[in-house]
Amino acid sequence: MRRTARLLAGTALAVTAVSGPVATAYAGQSGGLEVYPSAAVPGDRVTVGTSACGPEGTAAGDASAVGAGRFTLAPTTHDGDVVGEFRVPPSAQPGTYEIVAECAEGGRRVSGDLVVSPTATHQRVPPRGSVKTGVGGALGPDPVQTAAGVAALAVAAAGGTWLLHRRARGDVF
Amino acid sequence: MHRLGDTAIAAVTVAALCSGAWLLHDGAERHAPPQPSAAEARAGGTDPHSAPALPPSPPDRVRIPSIGVDAPLTGLRLTPGGSLEAPPATRKNLAGWYEAGTTPGETGTAVVAGHVDNADGPAVFYALGALKKGARIEVDRLDGSTALFTVDAVEVYRAGDFPDAKVYGAAPRPELRVITCGGGYSRDTGYQGNVVVFAHLTGSR
Repeated sequence: MRRTARLLAGTALAVTAVSGPVATAYAGQSGGLEVYPSAAVPGDRVTVGTSACGPEGTAAGDASAVGAGRFTLAPTTHDGDVVGEFRVPPSAQPGTYEIVAECAEGGRRVSGDLVVSPTATHQRVPPRGSVKTGVGGALGPDPVQTAAGVAALAVAAAGGTWLLHRRARGDVF
Repeated sequence: MHRLGDTAIAAVTVAALCSGAWLLHDGAERHAPPQPSAAEARAGGTDPHSAPALPPSPPDRVRIPSIGVDAPLTGLRLTPGGSLEAPPATRKNLAGWYEAGTTPGETGTAVVAGHVDNADGPAVFYALGALKKGARIEVDRLDGSTALFTVDAVEVYRAGDFPDAKVYGAAPRPELRVITCGGGYSRDTGYQGNVVVFAHLTGSR
């Protein structure tokens, strides 16, 4: 009897595992500091934004690395984003600078890189050719479903074997 | 007592056998992504109704309600070969935009790209080929505005014969391209080309 109970519990677990949801939850955008454009020339206006400070928050921005001083990031109509901007000083030297923002609440610090180049390198070069945006994973067998199917068949085999074993012993079925 | 246990085990065995067979059968039969019909191809002339351009602002989210797309956007650059890189394939619900190009809503051609599938199955733009002319595409921008685009055409192009000027070329009004893989699949070479959605700005909020 105990054996039956154990087997039943095991089977129930296996069936639950098989039929459980296969969905992968979307984890949400991580809390870095987005810098746009990430490559600028002296005199450009640069926008930064982050979702790390919560929907109601504000943040103190610091672009003093590039000589642009402090600025404020304020909430936008987009849930979760605070956004601010600064101007790259005309005297800024070429290089990579760390732009920092610190949430007013909780003090969380996020940062992003700004690359300053001496001349307007960003005359807009359009992309060329096709884009590699698929691997065929929607076409082949679904590995999760296949594994689940194999597990379910294993459960069936175990159950069947056990029943046959009982019958062979002459127990009434 | 044994009888009850046996009946339960027999029932579970049958259930497991059926569900196992179904899972294996169904799992092996996933479908190719939808491809646009000839009716969605580009017609002559351009839609005269176009909204005034918005100031430049980076986008942070794209929504296509008619095919259930609602995804964050990450910045994309060019590969050393000059083609547009794809967003990281590990995150199914992530699209990208060409950040060295036009921002969606300003005058010119903005480009958004995303995966049709990854190793685990369908991804963010799996249903892009099912999009119809006149459908709405919404792009949230970091300045707090939302750019509203209307689909003009949905085309498929082979990788070896990709019309760069048509897809990426400059436009005199705010336009948007949304790109994913498509055009048939072969085990050796992967997807044969791209599904490209052409849209232009018709409003904002």
